[in-house]
Amino acid sequence: MDILSGLLNGFAVALAPANLLWCFVGVFLGTVVGVLPGLGPPATIAMLLPLTFSMNPAGAIIMLAGIYYGAKYGGSTTSILMNVPGESASVVTCIDGYQMARKGRAGAALGIAAIASFVAGTVGVLGLMLVAPPLAKFALSFSSPEYFALMSLGLALVVLLAGRSIVKALLAALFGLWIASIGTDLFSTNSRFTFGRMELLSGIDFIVVAIGVFALGEVLGNMEAREETQLLEVPKGLRNLLPTWQDLKDCRFAFANGSVIGFLVGTLPGGGSTIASFLSYGLEKAVSRRRDQFGTGVIEGVAAPEGANNSETGGALVPLLTLGIPGSGTTAILLAALVLWGFKPGPLFIPEHPDLFWGLVASMYIGNVMLLVLNLPLVPLFAQVLRMPVYLLYPLILGVSLVGVYSASGSLFDLGLLMVFGLLGYLMRKLDYPAAPLILGLALGSGMERALRQSLMMSQGELSILVSRPISAVMLSLAVVILLIPLFGKLNAWRLRALES
Amino acid sequence: MEDGTRKSGDLWSGIALAALGVYIIVQAWQWEYSSPEGPGPGFFPLWYGIGMLALAALLVVSHLRGAAVYGKPADWKRIARALSAWLALAVSVALFKILGFVASFALLTYFIVAVMYRRPVRTAAISAFATAAGFYLVFELALGMSLPSGMLGF
Amino acid sequence: MNIRCATLVLAALAALPQTAALAQGFKPSRTVELVVHTGPGGGSDVLARALAVMAEREKLLPVRMIVVNKPGGNSAVAAAYLSEKRGDPNTIGLFTGVWLQTPLVSPEAKVTLRDLTPVARLVLEPAVIAVKADAPYRTLAEFIDAAKKNPGKLKQSGGSNTSRDNVVRQLLQKSTGAQWAFISFPGGGERIAALIGGHVDIMVIEPEEAGEHIRAGNMRVLAQVSERRLPGFPNAPTLKEAGFDVPVVPQVRGMVAPPGIPAANVAYWEDFCRRLTRTASWQKYIADNQFEDGYQNAADLAKFYDEFTGRMRDILKDAGVKIVR
Repeated sequence: MDILSGLLNGFAVALAPANLLWCFVGVFLGTVVGVLPGLGPPATIAMLLPLTFSMNPAGAIIMLAGIYYGAKYGGSTTSILMNVPGESASVVTCIDGYQMARKGRAGAALGIAAIASFVAGTVGVLGLMLVAPPLAKFALSFSSPEYFALMSLGLALVVLLAGRSIVKALLAALFGLWIASIGTDLFSTNSRFTFGRMELLSGIDFIVVAIGVFALGEVLGNMEAREETQLLEVPKGLRNLLPTWQDLKDCRFAFANGSVIGFLVGTLPGGGSTIASFLSYGLEKAVSRRRDQFGTGVIEGVAAPEGANNSETGGALVPLLTLGIPGSGTTAILLAALVLWGFKPGPLFIPEHPDLFWGLVASMYIGNVMLLVLNLPLVPLFAQVLRMPVYLLYPLILGVSLVGVYSASGSLFDLGLLMVFGLLGYLMRKLDYPAAPLILGLALGSGMERALRQSLMMSQGELSILVSRPISAVMLSLAVVILLIPLFGKLNAWRLRALES
Repeated sequence: MEDGTRKSGDLWSGIALAALGVYIIVQAWQWEYSSPEGPGPGFFPLWYGIGMLALAALLVVSHLRGAAVYGKPADWKRIARALSAWLALAVSVALFKILGFVASFALLTYFIVAVMYRRPVRTAAISAFATAAGFYLVFELALGMSLPSGMLGF
Repeated sequence: MNIRCATLVLAALAALPQTAALAQGFKPSRTVELVVHTGPGGGSDVLARALAVMAEREKLLPVRMIVVNKPGGNSAVAAAYLSEKRGDPNTIGLFTGVWLQTPLVSPEAKVTLRDLTPVARLVLEPAVIAVKADAPYRTLAEFIDAAKKNPGKLKQSGGSNTSRDNVVRQLLQKSTGAQWAFISFPGGGERIAALIGGHVDIMVIEPEEAGEHIRAGNMRVLAQVSERRLPGFPNAPTLKEAGFDVPVVPQVRGMVAPPGIPAANVAYWEDFCRRLTRTASWQKYIADNQFEDGYQNAADLAKFYDEFTGRMRDILKDAGVKIVR
């Protein structure tokens, strides 16, 4: 079906009043769900599934998809205001977003997050519409060696996130790798590092570590000082309540970067929004003129990852709708939902159900606009949260963290783990160990190990498989280059000193 | 090795991480390193354990080498405040099973407001009640998410 | 202590009349909790929610049924939760094959299905063996021959090494002497992508998942892992028909109750399951998902459990997995 006529038909479906309403309900719910740490789109969609049986399928999928990408908008709110990641993909937003809030630019941060999400989300839908089938074929050629190379590239970015001490950053990353391997090994069902506890059999939840190290570590660190009356400067004046034109100009590359990387990583069944946001952040830092200021509150450092985790939703729908292969947890539930309603996503889905597909695509354009309109005016409102006196704000942050973790798993053991990681986060701050590499190692660790072992199983032990395939060879060489950058820097410094003396 | 801040913390954390590295290596040794079907569960941990040990040793050595340079001395008063806050948090979580979320969280808030920030008792009490009630209303009632409940029934 | 308890329950059950008049004497007094071991959206969770909806629609229970997620520990957390609810008749659990296997291989998972009170087995999930559509194998025998000629070179994608995918492979390897590699992927999507992308040669897949890929011409079915031919695959031989004398090790789902439940309660839940499997919505659900009705009452389920775990221990030992229980 011709794209233009398909799209026009799609808009006819999406603009039907009932579907418009469901779209709004979906994106609104998604935003709320995204703001609350712990509760995520998969759980919400699963709980709403029985209610959707009585709805028409188009409206139902429009609503559920709205929850999916709407949550990505909301996830940045607590990340920026409280250093509490709303969901795993929002962890990277905490790095610069929270620092911006500390400098009184919370409004600009929240605003740019919404705008970047809109731009990238729309690009993601465009990509879904225009290049889905050929891109899906390309994504299929990605297998374990390529995934390993991708994750290595991501992990090599630790060098860029290092701050002052490379050694400490690498140690943090290795620590993250260790935490990632706690649990049952997939290939051999050996339990590793479980200390005899059955709760550790399936590993430690990413969000527990992220909230503990980021949010609790921050709060504990701030509680050292007795005399602070107000933590964060309330944004004063319109300049700080919303991003300025200069900000938007600064973020031009970040918008493009986030959109493209998020979408591409999303199309990979083994990808995910966390690695997409890390890669996008790393790339932004690598090419930015202000790269040394990343981590202190640079606006591109918010725009890039936020964009990436939004366009990733468009990308993740590509394998789902063109091949019937779910990439992430949420797309797996969307797949289950489609199956429950009697549709079977697969290569024949689009040709056989064009109204549903194009209706969904059109609704995503509309939904992104709705979200922008919903979120931007709320920015000044949310920023006022920072007016709260510190002695109220910290209990609030602690409470949100506790509820967030408990709602994800219902486990008091996880709350105990949260305490442990909170203490760890505080110690890391005092001892100058950067937290981002730890989170990076944790996010990539298990995927990387799996991909490596799968690759070696495929090649029967030949390491050459990693470099004999073009895509993985390219990415691995890039990773090596990135890792060697600090070495070049040091060699240069020695050389200069030798010349001077 | 150029380190921005060299405190004695580097020494202790280096030693701790080196010990962790040794532990990881010892554990990984007990698992299969490699099998005809591919690398085993001991493969990856062994390598990052070795990496951890090597880097931690590097940290310790570089600290001992430049031992004359220290950053700010540790302000133990401030650290004690932070740690006591952590202790209060941990205790309140431990109390969830007995008192439930709402009551324990109220106690925690009271502690933070009254003891950590030295606000008057009335402010502390009101804050404790308001935040705990707020969480209950928003999460338990409005959103239907169950919070840990203890013997008090909520 | 727990085996004794289960035996007592079974003895009591055997002494009761078979009619449906068992409902008298016990009725759930408050909202029933249906415990699953996955988070929201996982396989068991989806089935449990569908079950709860059916129970309400067909008025099988006088009270509401809600789903309680206790993820973690590969079902160990859910099993431990049920174990703690000793004697509580208003809590039941939905178990799957993982509940039976995890205690065999993980020392941390201390609660086995026999420590709890088995109630009923509900469904069996068959599977099909599929290859990429343009693969050179027309039958499973051709694949096995190719594997014999190139030992260890052909590859299968699947779940963990204790999953049914690998069990089928182990049984076939043992019976034919062929050998091929097994590569674990954590998610169904990745396994399918590996096959369609040409990175592996064969996989064991649920018929429901395979349906669309077959229709689109990306996948082809060589054989099916079930006792009888499935209605959706009239042209694919079962393993036995294809000449492979291996047992069909099924993937099961069923209901289990906490320990220490009196006989009348078990009988009530057993009866609930029996009535559930007779309802139209359940039959439709089974047909839509291409499951097989595998209803067994508590006594048979206990026997099945012993037989299944005994066989599983042998198979896994052959596969080189350490058995701890």
